[in-house]
Amino acid sequence: MASEKRSRRSGDTGPEPSHTYPYKILVVDDEPDLQPLILQRMRRPIRSGKYTFEFAQNGIEALEKLNAQPDIDMVVSDINMPQMDGLTLLEQIPSVNPNIRSVIISAYGDMQNIRTAMNRGAFDFVTKPLDFKDLRHTIARTLRNLVEWREALASRDQLVVLQNELDVASKIQQSILPTEFPQHERYGIHASMEPARNVGGDFYDILMLERDHIGLAIADVSDKGVPASLFMMSSRTLLKGTAIGLPQPGMVLSDVNDLLTEENETAMFVTVFYAVYSPMTGEVIYANGGHNPPLLIHADGSSEFVPRVGGIALGIVQGVPFSQGSITLQPGDTLLLYTDGVTEAMNAENEEFGVERLQAIFQDDPPTSAQHTNEAVFGAVHSFAGGTPQSDDITCLTISRISG
Amino acid sequence: MEINTERTDGVLVINAEGRIDGSNSAQFLESIQAVVSDDDNGVVLDFGGINYISSAGLRVILLLAKELRQKQTGFGVCSLSSSVKEIFTISGFDQIIAIFDSGADAVSSLK
Repeated sequence: MASEKRSRRSGDTGPEPSHTYPYKILVVDDEPDLQPLILQRMRRPIRSGKYTFEFAQNGIEALEKLNAQPDIDMVVSDINMPQMDGLTLLEQIPSVNPNIRSVIISAYGDMQNIRTAMNRGAFDFVTKPLDFKDLRHTIARTLRNLVEWREALASRDQLVVLQNELDVASKIQQSILPTEFPQHERYGIHASMEPARNVGGDFYDILMLERDHIGLAIADVSDKGVPASLFMMSSRTLLKGTAIGLPQPGMVLSDVNDLLTEENETAMFVTVFYAVYSPMTGEVIYANGGHNPPLLIHADGSSEFVPRVGGIALGIVQGVPFSQGSITLQPGDTLLLYTDGVTEAMNAENEEFGVERLQAIFQDDPPTSAQHTNEAVFGAVHSFAGGTPQSDDITCLTISRISG
Repeated sequence: MEINTERTDGVLVINAEGRIDGSNSAQFLESIQAVVSDDDNGVVLDFGGINYISSAGLRVILLLAKELRQKQTGFGVCSLSSSVKEIFTISGFDQIIAIFDSGADAVSSLK
C-alpha cells in the first residue's frame, strides 16, 4: 500500500505553488547528515528563491524555532528523535501555529506510525530512505494546499467584514426610527418595523409640526442591501427637512422627489405616503408617492382604503406634481399606514397575505388602540406566514383618534 | 429565471414566468440586456406568466426603460395579471411605462 502511494506520488508533476516570497520549511531530524543533503539536493529551489530551510535536531528545538519564527510555512519531521519525537511534536504544532502544514518522515512500511501521524494532523508523509524527487513533489503539493487554505481564510474574513457592514447598516436603519411616540389625550400613535434578514429600506417618521399638527410618513425603498439603506437615509433626511414648518404634503413630496431624482444613477426609488394630521379636527391631508394606500378602520371594525390620489414613487421623474387628498378621522377611527411587507407576506402555499386578510383582522377584533392595531397586524401576518421566511421589511404606523 | 424571446416586425418580445423579486431581479436584468440588440425597434416584456413583481423588480424595469430611452428604442410591458397591474398602478409606474393589453398590441404600436 505504501509503495503504491509512493509510485503514484512520484508521478505527480503538478505546478509548483505560485508565490512571491520564499516559503520557509523547517526540517526536524536527529541525523546530522540530512542538513547538507537537503541543502545540496534542494539547491535549485533555494537558489531561485523559492524555499529557505531551517533545521532542528528534535521536537523541542523545533518548537523553539517555530515560536521564534512565525513565518515558517511547513514542517518536515522525522518520527524517532531524542527528547521529543515527531509524533509528540505534531501534537504541539497547532498550539504554536495552527496554519502550519506538516509532513512526516517515516520508516518504509511503518503504517502504524504513519496512521498515528495522520491522525495528529500531518498533511502527508514520505518514507526512508528519502527519495528527493518524491520529497520535492510532496513539499510542492503541501505548500499548494497551504496557499489554498490561506486564500479560503482570507475570503472568509472578507465575508465576515461584509456581514459586519450589513449589520451596521441594519442597525443604522433601525436606530433612526422613532421608538418613543407622542402621548396625547386626543390621539394615540404607535409604529413598528420588523426588518427582513437582508438590510431593507422601510422607514417611518413622526414629526411634530407647527400648531400641534403631526406629520406621519411611511416609506419603502426599492431593493435591499447597503445601497438601499443609504438611499433610505437620504430620503428620510430630505423628507424631515422639507416637512419642517407646515407645508402642504403634496409640496413636501414634490420637493423631496426633485431632490432625490437629481443625479440618481442607480434608478433606486422610494414609495412614500405622507400625511399631516390635525388633532383638533381629525382631518388628515395626505399625498402619495406610489405607496400602498393606508387603511381607515372604524370603531366597529369596518374599514376602507384611503382614496387614491395618483402620484409616482419618488426618485424617478423630476417635476411631477403630487395631488392631495383628505379624510377625517371620527373619534374611534384608526388610520393604519403599512408597507407591502404586510400585504405581500407569503405562506407555504405561495399565497400572499393580501388586502382582504388585512381588512378581515379588524372585522372580528376592532382596534382598541394604535398599539393594539399594529400588534394585531403583526400577529395575523406571522400566523399566516407560518415558518415561511420573511422576504421584506414589515412596517406599520398607526394613529387613532381617541373617542370622548 | 428563464426568459424566452421572439422578434416580430423588429420588436423583441420577452416572456418570463414566475416572480420577479430581490432574489432574481439582477439576473433578470442581465438576461434581458444580453438579448436586446441595437437593431431592435422596440422591446416588450410580456408579463402573462408573471404573478408577482417586487420593488426590486420594478427597479429593473426602470433601469431598462432608461437604457432603451437613451438608445431611442421603444419600450413597454404587456399582458399584466390583475395583481401585477395593481402594483404598477399603486407605484405610479403605469404613468411612466407604456402598458399594452397584449403582445400583438405592443408590437403594432412599437414596430
